[in-house]
Amino acid sequence: MDLLLDSLKSAFLLFFACDQELFSIVGVSLKVSAISTLIASCVGIPCGFLVAYSSFYGKRLLLTCLNTLLAMPTVVIGLLVYSFISRRGVFGSLELLYTQQAIIIGQVILIVPLVTTLAIAAVSKIDNRYRNTALTLGATQLQMAWVIIQEARYGIGAAVIAAFGRVIAEVGISMMLGGNAKGFTRTMTTAMALEYDKGEFVLAVALGITLMTIAFGINLLFHFFQGRTHVDAV
Amino acid sequence: MLYSANRLTKEFKGRTILNLEQLEIEKHKIYALIGANGAGKTTLLNLLAFLVPPSSGKLCFDGQNGMRSGKNMLDLRRRVVLVDQYPILFTGPVWKNVEFGLKVRGIAKAIREKKVMEVLELVGMEDFFQADAHKLSGGESKRVALARALAIEPEVLLCDEPTANVDEENQDVILSILERINEENRTSIIMATHYLAQSRRLAHYILMLEHGRLSERNELFLTPASLA
Repeated sequence: MDLLLDSLKSAFLLFFACDQELFSIVGVSLKVSAISTLIASCVGIPCGFLVAYSSFYGKRLLLTCLNTLLAMPTVVIGLLVYSFISRRGVFGSLELLYTQQAIIIGQVILIVPLVTTLAIAAVSKIDNRYRNTALTLGATQLQMAWVIIQEARYGIGAAVIAAFGRVIAEVGISMMLGGNAKGFTRTMTTAMALEYDKGEFVLAVALGITLMTIAFGINLLFHFFQGRTHVDAV
Repeated sequence: MLYSANRLTKEFKGRTILNLEQLEIEKHKIYALIGANGAGKTTLLNLLAFLVPPSSGKLCFDGQNGMRSGKNMLDLRRRVVLVDQYPILFTGPVWKNVEFGLKVRGIAKAIREKKVMEVLELVGMEDFFQADAHKLSGGESKRVALARALAIEPEVLLCDEPTANVDEENQDVILSILERINEENRTSIIMATHYLAQSRRLAHYILMLEHGRLSERNELFLTPASLA
């Protein structure tokens, strides 16, 4: 108990002293997570819309596959991407391994299924009359799609926030593809693992508090957006 | 001829909803589409609005094939507008809803603003310009939906039960608007309705649907029993 309390006390001091290393690690985490969430959203939201609004053979199978991918362990994704971008991999010449880009690639693969399935759910809830109304008023298919996305904005917002929450807290991809290089690919989760290995708990606890604070903020936002979805539905 | 249809059918999950041997609709007239619940009125209106394709048969609009796709379908849809029985308004203020059709056509903002106010005054909803569209009553929503449709000055206005679930005062307002746009703008109107009195007041022709099939009568010799 003394260990935890001492670590907590020192961690708060570190935080309020604006420790450079701490902020650098948090900055890298926020940067790679934000970029991967943005890319995954650009892919997942249109895909989710298309799947929700299309009828095609194999749609159920696709949805099943997407739901299965939600459970894919981060280390499996890390291993998969590693096999492509390592020196012996197909894209080895691009020298992506142990860079922020590599982490982003892995995280995008992790959360595209999440964004897509949540976007499908959000768009599917939207009354079909919005579609018909937009079309009868002369909207093109693209304009109609934009109307639907606007009407589903809270559900889609919740999907994006959930995706961000997923990547900022993952460790497998960041560790395997980032290499935990100080000031470069060291994220909050990989730094915590390292500090634990070293027996240095202060920084680990400080990072843990920061991560939990961010996660709490994300959850608040998520529930706000989810709540607006229900309010709009009423 | 505005619409002409030949052996037009629409099926849904193995059931034939609509089966029209022949249908011809003239320009600039008001048609009342009468039939019991489930007779196929809404399905027919959706077909005429080019929102759904027929299962078989041919539908022509103003001499053009109404069953093409892509840009041609968009051009047809922009000449016809359907107002639902339970219209849905987009999230946002009333004025944004009413300007939607003009905005998607790339009409300039100044013209849009003028037109929006004009049609809101026509339907008596000018005081609701900034109101939240989702907070309107049923009758108010119908009038805004009608204004939204009229803003784009369609050649054809399709109305599904325009006065259903609306109080008498609003019913009168809506019917007067339909009469006026037909007389002044020569807009062709096809309205599905249960109200015989409204049909008598407005319509030039009656289209009677029974179990998805059409029998047309110009004059009303229908007894209430025959509408059951």
